[in-house]
Order: sequence, then C-alpha cells, then structure tokens
Amino acid sequence: MIKYIGVRLAQSIFVLFGLSLLIFFIARVVPGDPARVALGNLATEEQVQKLRAEMHLDKPFAVQYYYWLKSMLRGDLGKSLYTQRPVTTDLKQYIPATLELILFATLISLVFGQVTGVLAGYFRNSWFDNFSRLASYLGVATPSFVVAILLLFIFSQLLKLTPSVGRLPLMVKPPPTVTGFMVLDSLLAGRPDLALLALKHLILPAFSLAVIHIAQEGRITRSSLIENVQKDYIIAHEVHGIRPTKLVFKYLLKPSIIPTVTVMGLDFAFLMSNAFLVELVFFWPGFARYAVNAMLSKDLNAIVAVVLVIGVTFALVNLVVDIIITFLDPSIRIQRRGG
Amino acid sequence: MKVTRILGIVVAVFAIGLCGLVGAQQAAENVAVINAYPVIWTDPAVASDWYDTETMYNLYSPLVYPTPEGSVRPHLATSWEPVGGDLTHWRFKLRQGVKFHSGNELTAEDVAWSMTRFITMGRGNSGPLGKVTATVVDKYTVDFLLDKPSAIFPETLALFFPVEKALVEANIKKPGQYGDLGDYGEEWLSTHDAGTGPYMMVSHISGQRLEAVRFPDYFEGWSDEGWGPNEVPIERLIFIMETDYTTLMTLLKSGDLDLEINGGWTLPQLRDIKADPRLRLEYVWAQNVTVWMNTKRPPTDDEHFRKAVLYAYDYEAVVGPWAEFGNGETGIILPTMPGYVPIEPQPRKQNLEKARQELALSKYATGPVPPVVFHYCGGLSFEEEIGLQLQADLAKLGVKVEVAGPPWPQYSAECSSAETTPNMTIFLFAPQVAPPLDYYTYNMYHPKGLGWIFEAHWFFEDPEIIRLLELTRATVDFAQRLEIYKQLQPMIAAHALALFPYQKPTPFATQCYISGPKEKINMVGPSENMHNWRINLTKKAGGC
Repeated sequence: MIKYIGVRLAQSIFVLFGLSLLIFFIARVVPGDPARVALGNLATEEQVQKLRAEMHLDKPFAVQYYYWLKSMLRGDLGKSLYTQRPVTTDLKQYIPATLELILFATLISLVFGQVTGVLAGYFRNSWFDNFSRLASYLGVATPSFVVAILLLFIFSQLLKLTPSVGRLPLMVKPPPTVTGFMVLDSLLAGRPDLALLALKHLILPAFSLAVIHIAQEGRITRSSLIENVQKDYIIAHEVHGIRPTKLVFKYLLKPSIIPTVTVMGLDFAFLMSNAFLVELVFFWPGFARYAVNAMLSKDLNAIVAVVLVIGVTFALVNLVVDIIITFLDPSIRIQRRGG
Repeated sequence: MKVTRILGIVVAVFAIGLCGLVGAQQAAENVAVINAYPVIWTDPAVASDWYDTETMYNLYSPLVYPTPEGSVRPHLATSWEPVGGDLTHWRFKLRQGVKFHSGNELTAEDVAWSMTRFITMGRGNSGPLGKVTATVVDKYTVDFLLDKPSAIFPETLALFFPVEKALVEANIKKPGQYGDLGDYGEEWLSTHDAGTGPYMMVSHISGQRLEAVRFPDYFEGWSDEGWGPNEVPIERLIFIMETDYTTLMTLLKSGDLDLEINGGWTLPQLRDIKADPRLRLEYVWAQNVTVWMNTKRPPTDDEHFRKAVLYAYDYEAVVGPWAEFGNGETGIILPTMPGYVPIEPQPRKQNLEKARQELALSKYATGPVPPVVFHYCGGLSFEEEIGLQLQADLAKLGVKVEVAGPPWPQYSAECSSAETTPNMTIFLFAPQVAPPLDYYTYNMYHPKGLGWIFEAHWFFEDPEIIRLLELTRATVDFAQRLEIYKQLQPMIAAHALALFPYQKPTPFATQCYISGPKEKINMVGPSENMHNWRINLTKKAGGC
C-alpha cells in the first residue's frame, strides 16, 4: 500500500508540473495588462512600466516561467496583484474558509444522501422511493445558488431562524486564526459561544451546496443497493433469516457505497472551485470567490496558484478515495497485492 | 423496520440540532457596518483608487480639505502661499497641537518626510504632482519645491496624507525595493496606520475587511453642534467589501449593514430602499457617465459623424426611469460642481432630423459607413444599456453599432493607444482626483493629461483649448480660474468628443438611524469621512 501511495504521489507531481506550465502560459496570453490593473487607474505609464519590469512581464514567457518556478520551489508563489499580499498568505486565509464549508456540506450530503439512498433502495417502489426520486430530480436540476437564495429567503428573512451571511456576525471580532476553521478556532480560543455562532452561519451555505450532492449520491447508493440486493450472497443471507438491519448495515451497505465514495471524492474537489456562487450569496470569504476575482482581475500569480491548489485537491482526493475503496472492497486489495 | 420510523429518527435528530443552533442575533451597539469597495492599499503613498481614498479620509488627514465651492480650506495646514513669482515654490504653515494616533505631535519633519516618501515611492496619487522636494523651515513650516510651476498645487494636496515619520521608520522592513529605505514601511502600513485621522485602524484584511475605532483626540474635535440630541459619533467602524448588490440588499434589509457608500444599486433595488421606512438614501456626490468617441478611428474620426451620434441618441429613453434618483443632464464637468456650463451640441432630446443633417455633412454621407464598435466594461449592465440604446438609435441612420463588454483587464488595455481603442468606450468618472475641476478638464483633454481611459477620444489638435487648459494651472485666483473653466467647456464640447448620457448620483443607502454629512462636497473622500456622520442609538434600539 505504501508503495502504491508513493507511486501515485510521484505521478501527481508530474501532472501538477504540466498543469502549472499550461495555466502559466494560458494566463499570460489572455488579453489585458495585469500591471495596469494592479496599479489602479491613476498610475502613470512610467509606474506601469516599472511594475512590468519588476514582475518580469517584459521578458519572454520561458524566462518568466523560470523565475516563477524558482520562487515556487522556495515556497514563494509570488505576490497577488489584487490583494497586494503574498499569494501564500491569501491561500492560507481563504482555503480554510472554503474547506470548512465543503467539509460541513460533505457531512450533510453523506448523512442525508446515504440515508435516503439506503431507504429508497431497500424499500424500493414504496412511497418514500417515489418521493425521493422526485426530490432528487428537483435537487439535481436546481442550481446551488437558487437553493441558496431560497433558503436565505425562507430561513433567514421570513422565519428569522438562521443568520443571513458571513462566517460570524459582521460586528463580532473573529477568534485568533490557528487553523482557519472558524468553529475550531473559536473552541481553541475558549469561546464556545463563537463556535456556536460559526456553526449557525455554516448551516445555510453548507446545505445549499449539499442539496445537489444529496440528490446525486442518494440515487447512486439506491441503484447500487438494488443491484447488490439481487446478488446470491444476499439472497442466501435472507434465506438464512438474518435480520434486515444487520443485512443492510453489515452486508449491503459496504459494497453499495463504493460508487458513492468515488463520486463524493470528485464532488469534494469540484466544490473547491465551484462554490463561488454560494460564497457570493452568503458573503463567504472563501477560496472560490478568491479564484474568480483572480481570473477577473488577471491576477497572474493568484491564477496559477489557484489552479495548482485545485489540481492538488483533485490528486489528493482521488488518492484518498482509492485508499478508502481498497479498504471497502477486498477484491481490489487482493488485486493490488498482485493476487 | 419501517421506513417511516427510520425517517422519523433522522428528521428528529436534524431538527434538534437545528433548534439548538438557531437563535437570536447579538444586539448591536455603537458600531457601524459600512460597505466599501475592496480596499487593498491603506498606505497613503500607495493608495490611489477612490475606495482607497475613502479609507484615507478616515485614518489620515490631508494637508488641505476640499470645499463645496470646489476649492480647498485649511486642515493640517493653516495657510499657504507661493514664494517668489514663478509658482514653483510653496510655503505651508502647519496647525499646532495636531496629534498622531500614537499621541505624538505632527511637525514639519513628518510632513516633509512623508512628501519625500510619497515622491520617492512614485505610486498612488503622486503621479500628478511631478517631482516635489520638501524642506523643513521650522517646526511648523514646510517648503515644497516643484519641478514645474503649478497654481493648483495646494489643491492637489487634498490627496496628500502625512504619516508619522518615527513610527513608519521603526517599522521599515529590509531588504526592500527602495534600497537603504527597505520597503519604506509599506508592508507595515497595510495592516497599521500612522495617521492623524478621526479613526484608528484596528485591523485590515486586504480586500475583505477593515476595522477602525474613533480617535478621541482628533484635532477637529467631536462637536455635537448641528446634530440632534441623540446623534452621537460612531465609536467603531467595520468596513466590509462586498461588490454583489443582491447580497448587500440582503444585508441592508436584515439590518446587518448600516451604510453602503458605493451606490451600485439597480433601479428596482433603489425603489425598494426608498419604499422601506427603515432605510434612507443619502446623496452627496455624482459621477459623470462618459462615452468617449475615438477621433482617430473611422467613422468617429469625423466631427459631423460624432455630432450625428449626439443628436441621434435618445437621452430620455435611458435616463427617464432613473430621473427620480437624480440622474440627469451633464456635460464636461458635473452640474453639481461650481462653474458648470450646459453644453452644445448635447441636445438632451433625440433629434433625428438634425442627426441626418450632420451625417450628410460628414465624409460618410455617401457610401457605406464603417460599423461603430462600442465597448463597455463587462458586467456593468447600465453601460451595456447605453450601448444597446445607441445601437437602436444609430440603426435609424443606417449605422451599425457592434456592442461588446470585454472584462476590465482587456477593456482597459484596449485604451492604451488610439489604434487599439474602439470607436466608443464608456466610463463612469467619479470626482476622485484633486482638484476635481482640473481632473474633468486638464486631465481629460490636455495631451499631458492622465491619458489612457481618461482621454480615449485622442483629440489634442485645438491649440486654443490647450492654451486655456494650461492657463487654468497657472491661475492662482480661484474665481478667475472658474471663469476659464466656463470658457473652456463649450469649446471642448464643440468638437463632440464624447457623449454624456447622464450624471449618476451615488446614493448612499443607510439605515434610518444613521445621519450623513451636512456639507455636500463634490469629491470622493470627504463625504465618506465618518467624522461627518452620526448614529442615533435610541432609534437604532427602538426603531425609526
């Protein structure tokens, strides 16, 4: 297993190198003058030329890439033209906000998706199965930002049950940053009241992101479960009179969630870059918003860094998913051992 | 096991969790949450954009302060005068007893050092100043030597904010891009302040959030004169930086946002705010919507063609619905500014007959007219609306208009030369450069003006206009200068370099318990100086 992980990680480095090369050049051929955008409207031509030279923008692409790679290997991803801070500082600030949101959304989709899928699959063609089918179609077809606006309107504006936007109330001073996860940092600062507030602020945005995945993962689990129910070993267990709960949780669930785990992994990485609209609706200072701002303002260093982060996330999540599947499915484990 | 039982357990667990988490929000006290555009730079030597200036006026104090009449009055400086007759040497007397946020007194040493820093760094608003050398005459007197004569130099200092020399020097990071001076304190000043302004920075997350608290020893004091009995200074400011107005509307309606100072609301949103008794709209300054016509590119290279455009455009169709919010006639400068002269040809009403007459006089009277390329900044719907209106209006003359909205980096890069600038480009010019009258004239029509998007008409061929523009910068007396501006406006307008669809007031949306400034100053910065705003805590607690 360790050898397998090592090989996968080595492969990922090559993939990321190719990705950085590609995005580095694409970002530079898109029309627009990043130095002018960075310095603001009132900068003189002299000031703009000076910044271009500082950023090596007056040099050939290959030379620019050399400078970038040299700095990157030292852990320096350059300065963001938009925020005027090191890109690494920006990433440290924005990634945890989105990760916290996505983790919470994944947790919600895991619980609701699996429960819905298992129930719908086990009690197939029941009223619940039909209802969940309808709800799933609706969930998949409704964009996250529409769900976000609806939830905001109902729970925050009409019922006044949840806060409207942000990670904490706007006038509350955040706890000192340790992990960047607001709930965790609040607890570490000895402020359970803030942790509770942060949790409240997580509910609506996380649920908005989770809805589509609940629907999707619920359907996949259902299909997989129905397929497995018809297998000989399950029929044999049923014939031997094993209790339905034991049958579901001990023998059916494990093989049935393998395709769901794969999809969940991809969904998690996908959300890193696609949570933008939900972050926008909920005024969530996250990575996806940072990424879109970087693209719109032609923030070269930030664009490359953002794409690399997404690339790393996909690579890591795929690796983790493969490891989980290996544990869930003994046949894969045996194959990898060369059995 | 029944499906309903399992489902019931799941729903119950979730409901209990939700009920535990939901609850009442914390009550607000003497705090104002204000939305500003993303503030990136809080170093006065680097800050340049209008949203940076809004912050500058809160954390720092300029040497002179803009007035509603378009000139400046004493602020950190109590008086100034040119030394000698060539306007290259200016002497400023400083106010005594002004305290920095550290408690130390402001002296000529700080002012001279700040000017040297400003010019050496060569960023932010320093460009229009040229090369300035500062010398200390005595503890409260400083001399500025300019590389070229300028009668408007004192007015440009409305965007010069002195910093505390000792404090910044103590926080210089080495090595930096300024040699022995390291980074000249730039990094430290992005999260701290070294100013004398009415508010002191507590924290700043670039482009996201800035927090400041009231400076009790602010040199102008915190007088209650002119304010209501329960209207008190705001103790704590939290600037958030959201650009999506749907989100801002949610914040405003929920009471999470107290004041919005960028005014990018849509028409339905403005009506919604106006109809809500808990909210209010406050108007201070306006912006000039300007459609430049590139005089170096066919068919807008022909003056008669450009005049045909001015007559063909249906002004009322676009501005009509907005009229209730103050959108209306404008010209070379804003009608809210002193010295405004209505200009011709800028008919304010569509006149297709005259448009056809002008087209017939142009070199495009016979033969096909090349298509007109109209570019706007992608995402700005009001700019697109004007483009589409022009497209419909010019179609009546048989002229095709191609409307497109590239993203800002591409759009702004197009305007770097006459060859690459489209026929028409639209911009929203806020009065963000000191002095604003000079900004809307010299900087937009003189060959040594700000260039780029500010002069995307590329017309500099009228020597009389150039002479008069230069005369404005050589005239010390403000009243005399105002007369020259009045003379200039029709002369510039006669060349039909731009279509001015309307002036766009910047409506500050506020909660009803927030009161705005008593003075209406046509410049970005003073209006957003929160020293001039008050909060009514009784109303905030009990409703309006």
